[in-house]
Amino acid sequence: MRWIRPLAAGGHPAVVGAKAHGLSVLARLGLPVPPGFVLTTDLHRAVRATGRLPRSLPGELATALDALPGRAGTGPVAVRSGAVVSMPGMLATVLDVRGADAVLGAIAHVLASWDAPRARTYRRLHDVPDDAGTAVVVQAMVAGDRDERSASGVAFSRDPVTGAPVPYGEVAFRAPGVAVVSGTGTTRPLTELATRNAAAWAELLAALRLVERHHRDVCHVEFTIESGRLWLLQVRRGGVAASAAARIAVGLAEDGILSRTEAVGRVDLAGPAVALRLGAGVPVLTRGTGAAPGLAAGRAALTADDAVRLAGHGPVILVRPTTSPADLHGLAAASGVVTFRGGPTSHAAVVARAMGKPAVVGATETTVREGAEITIDGTTGIVAAGVHCGVTPGDDPALKLLRQWSTYGLAEN
Amino acid sequence: MVRTSESVLHALRCVGAAGTDTIAEAVGTSPAEAGSALIDLAVDGLVTFERGPFGGWRITAPGQAADDRAVARELDTLGARDLVTTAYQGFLELNPELLDLCTAWQLRTAEPDRIVAAFTDLHGRCAVCLGPLAPVLPRFERHRGGLEHALSRARAGETGYLADRLDSYHTRWFRLHEDFLVTLGRPRH
Repeated sequence: MRWIRPLAAGGHPAVVGAKAHGLSVLARLGLPVPPGFVLTTDLHRAVRATGRLPRSLPGELATALDALPGRAGTGPVAVRSGAVVSMPGMLATVLDVRGADAVLGAIAHVLASWDAPRARTYRRLHDVPDDAGTAVVVQAMVAGDRDERSASGVAFSRDPVTGAPVPYGEVAFRAPGVAVVSGTGTTRPLTELATRNAAAWAELLAALRLVERHHRDVCHVEFTIESGRLWLLQVRRGGVAASAAARIAVGLAEDGILSRTEAVGRVDLAGPAVALRLGAGVPVLTRGTGAAPGLAAGRAALTADDAVRLAGHGPVILVRPTTSPADLHGLAAASGVVTFRGGPTSHAAVVARAMGKPAVVGATETTVREGAEITIDGTTGIVAAGVHCGVTPGDDPALKLLRQWSTYGLAEN
Repeated sequence: MVRTSESVLHALRCVGAAGTDTIAEAVGTSPAEAGSALIDLAVDGLVTFERGPFGGWRITAPGQAADDRAVARELDTLGARDLVTTAYQGFLELNPELLDLCTAWQLRTAEPDRIVAAFTDLHGRCAVCLGPLAPVLPRFERHRGGLEHALSRARAGETGYLADRLDSYHTRWFRLHEDFLVTLGRPRH
């Protein structure tokens, strides 16, 4: 085959893309990956050069689909992009595709998404060559919404915000993966999986430990549980907040995954001073994504007008589902903002940064009471009950430990 | 909109709390005329004026309802619903790219010159998207003009006009987004 490779065969990320490369590593580690194959970046370059799919592709595709175990080319497949460099949320995915013609159409659609204006602008800003191209991963569809014993989620091998050595993530029960990745579904803390499906939970924890040891770094996976059976759909290294780096490095050293010297080398010990953060042990009300750094405490105001009114009596945090221009005066009056929808590139995040106010966006829990005292950490995305002082990153015990390892020659363990 | 008071009410809706001058600019009229219209709207209970550091004119709940009715009536009278829907679809494709650019600017994740160039390129496509609305709904032409003004200030070196000020390209874009949502009667997601 000229354009297609079995997923398990792997290959250089420049040829098969980062996603297929990661999946082939998972498969070699013996972890459950839905059967599939990858169309290489060579195909994409050929398509961009000639303006059409090669004549030999339909034949190769039919053969590859027929070879999928247990599906015989008839079951639904997922068609996903797989660029060499991650371009988050910019390239297309087509799920639940049936029939060779439809799969061919989905492949063309995914390839065309590479040349969408937003993707082109992203590449121009970040020095990614236009002709690098994307691979396309085709896998047997696994359905996280099939039945009561199905779910989809994202799991980090360590807490991506605090760096604590416990798995962290989100799971949506009886929901397709897109509900978790796009943030549109109702997700629950990952740990709820332990009570809902103990076997899949244990298998997931074992998989996280395995990929962490293999990559020698914190990792996160996207997973789907179909009728009780765990499948891994993606693995990536890192993806954690800068605030977690020191504790993760120490944790990896303590677990024998890194040497102390390597752990010291993972963290910028002389890095620039960054914003104040919440210390450990605060009562966490909810977590979202830190979108504008800094710490702010005050009474929660649920409308912009209330924020202005309450601000006359003390500091206020504006808490909104999302923001519109009608909230701007409330944001101006508030010391910080929390939203329940939107990510780090939402209007709310852009405006908060413009005003220099800490912001937490996409917070998962929506039960912040009007007038309650809360503290928000715009670096880590933590919203805590009560008023708390911050710590500077220099006070971080993990960072202190790394400095000691570095300074006193204790790094050679 | 034919009547100044309706235009003023709608501009306040899209801008959020604001002073008279900001509304006058958004409507394309003099501060005196905008101020007079705002006082009339306040008498009717459609807007209020709050004093204090975060004060200004604000639209009331009855004001929002009146604006919803006026905007919908205008759209039907002009037969422009399809035209606005098409433009809005184009806008929605540009919106994530604009937010990418604002974030790249604020977090300094790419070279400043490249980001300004990308804003300029995006603005060209935005102008194309809004173009068909100009002869039918002049306020969209004013949105375009406001965006262009912010962009030209940024290109002249006042880069705070990209996303760091309250009269920045982003703020004007945010208002344009609100105008589309209100005009088509859609919720913000």
